Amino acid sequence: MLELKDLYFSVSGRNIIDGMSYTFEKGKFYSITGPNGSGKTTLAKLIMGINPVSSGSISFQGKEISSLSITERAREGIAYSFQQPARFKGITFRDLLSMAAGTDDEAMLLALLRRVGICSLSFLDNPVDAKLSGGEIKKIELATTIARNPKLAIYDEPDTGIDLWTIQPMVRLLKREQKEHGTTTVVVSHNRAFLEAADIVLMISEGKLVYKGDLKGALPMLNDLSVCNYRKCVGDKDVGCYR
Amino acid sequence: MLDAIDKDLLKTVADLEGLPKGAFNIRKNGKLLKREVSANINIESNADGSGIVVTIKPGTINESVHIPVILSQAGLYDVVYNNFIIGEGSDVTIIAGCGIHCGTLEPEGHAGIHEFRVGKGAKVKYVEKHYASGPGRGRRTLNPTTKVFLEAGATAEMELTQIGGVDEANRTNEATLGPDSLLLITERVLTEGNQKAVSANTIILAGAGSRANMISRSVIKGDSEQDFYATMEALAPCFGHIECDAIIMDNGRNDTVPSLKARHPDAALTHEASIGKIASDQLMKLMSLGLTYDEAVNRIIQGFLK
Repeated sequence: MLELKDLYFSVSGRNIIDGMSYTFEKGKFYSITGPNGSGKTTLAKLIMGINPVSSGSISFQGKEISSLSITERAREGIAYSFQQPARFKGITFRDLLSMAAGTDDEAMLLALLRRVGICSLSFLDNPVDAKLSGGEIKKIELATTIARNPKLAIYDEPDTGIDLWTIQPMVRLLKREQKEHGTTTVVVSHNRAFLEAADIVLMISEGKLVYKGDLKGALPMLNDLSVCNYRKCVGDKDVGCYR
Repeated sequence: MLDAIDKDLLKTVADLEGLPKGAFNIRKNGKLLKREVSANINIESNADGSGIVVTIKPGTINESVHIPVILSQAGLYDVVYNNFIIGEGSDVTIIAGCGIHCGTLEPEGHAGIHEFRVGKGAKVKYVEKHYASGPGRGRRTLNPTTKVFLEAGATAEMELTQIGGVDEANRTNEATLGPDSLLLITERVLTEGNQKAVSANTIILAGAGSRANMISRSVIKGDSEQDFYATMEALAPCFGHIECDAIIMDNGRNDTVPSLKARHPDAALTHEASIGKIASDQLMKLMSLGLTYDEAVNRIIQGFLK
């Protein structure tokens, strides 16, 4: 349902995404992992149209989308959960949820909150501003993504700032969305819980897709220090690149 | 009595569909149009006929008074002096606002000078909206002044809004706070085209335990200009905060000058100020929810000025 063909994204002559080709299948759960700076978030942003492709193509459900705007891609059915969600002045969670769902009907918004589960009802009229904690704003981000009823949902590091007790419910939520709504799910994460939940793990290093398959097959590579982009690690216990 | 233009202006500046309930005073083109008083709220013209005195009895709770001004007479510059005496222990809402409808090339304007004396322990919420419209190209001027005196334990919450169409505005807000009193001011101003607005604010925290928070939200579109000056002077142990944010679009220009003056060692004064375009992460978030770029801009500004 999503096909990347010979995809490049370059900045100042450096290929951040370096000739990537891959086809995502409908209804599958993908986890994208790899060292810091390997190009995971950049790839996610290319799919959403946040970054423009330098060359290559992205087709979604058979339609070439690489020249479409963020808005057009959203309307095609792609939703995106930002790693560092925007904060606003004067916009509440209710406002964002209404925009995402296309309705301000109270009953429908409450039903959405129940579907997401991890957001308390008391959140609804909170301003989405700098006063929210990192965890709270990530839950709001997740809820607005699910409220889009997307065909393809992209989550960039959804567990950032989330407490340990919420990570498993979050994984279960994304799996449930995948199963019940047939959502093709792409999660960019270093977290083992998301890697374990994935049908397919994709590993990126230096802008290239270096592995696709199950987690078991990825483990030797995840443990291999040679994938460290920064070449900082000098031993098994030294994780200078924080991968 | 109220024509279609009057009704539209009243709806915009005072959320009124026709005449309000309770006490009110509607002024049209420099003259009294209609007035009602209530058991606890008296309104009378002042001695020289240049405005009104609104007196609220001590202990008046959950009552409101509307005092809108509408202007549609070419060439008129209406100046009005209004005094509000808010009795001890009362809790009331005052809804003001001025709407100008300009239909000619001649200028029209209004200056409302409002003085509030808020008694001990009383609470007042003051809502003021300024708006101008009409097909005429005459210059529309609105120059409001508010002066607030808070007695011990009094609270004033002021929402001051200029929502569009005003070519020139010189806005002045002054306040003196007694012991343990609280002042919250939120001012929202939108300018576009070649409009100019200046907001000058002086808040004196005179009483021990007094607190003030001034929030300014400015949106500056087109070639318009806005200047914001706020001085907070602390004469006693107190807390004061100024928060001023401006969104600049197109070729808008803005000066923001917060000033804090501590004249007491136990004064705590803070300010935060920001001027800039709409943040790209905000635009991208709303576009990722299916809004177009223009819809996202409008929604962000709407929220910012809400």
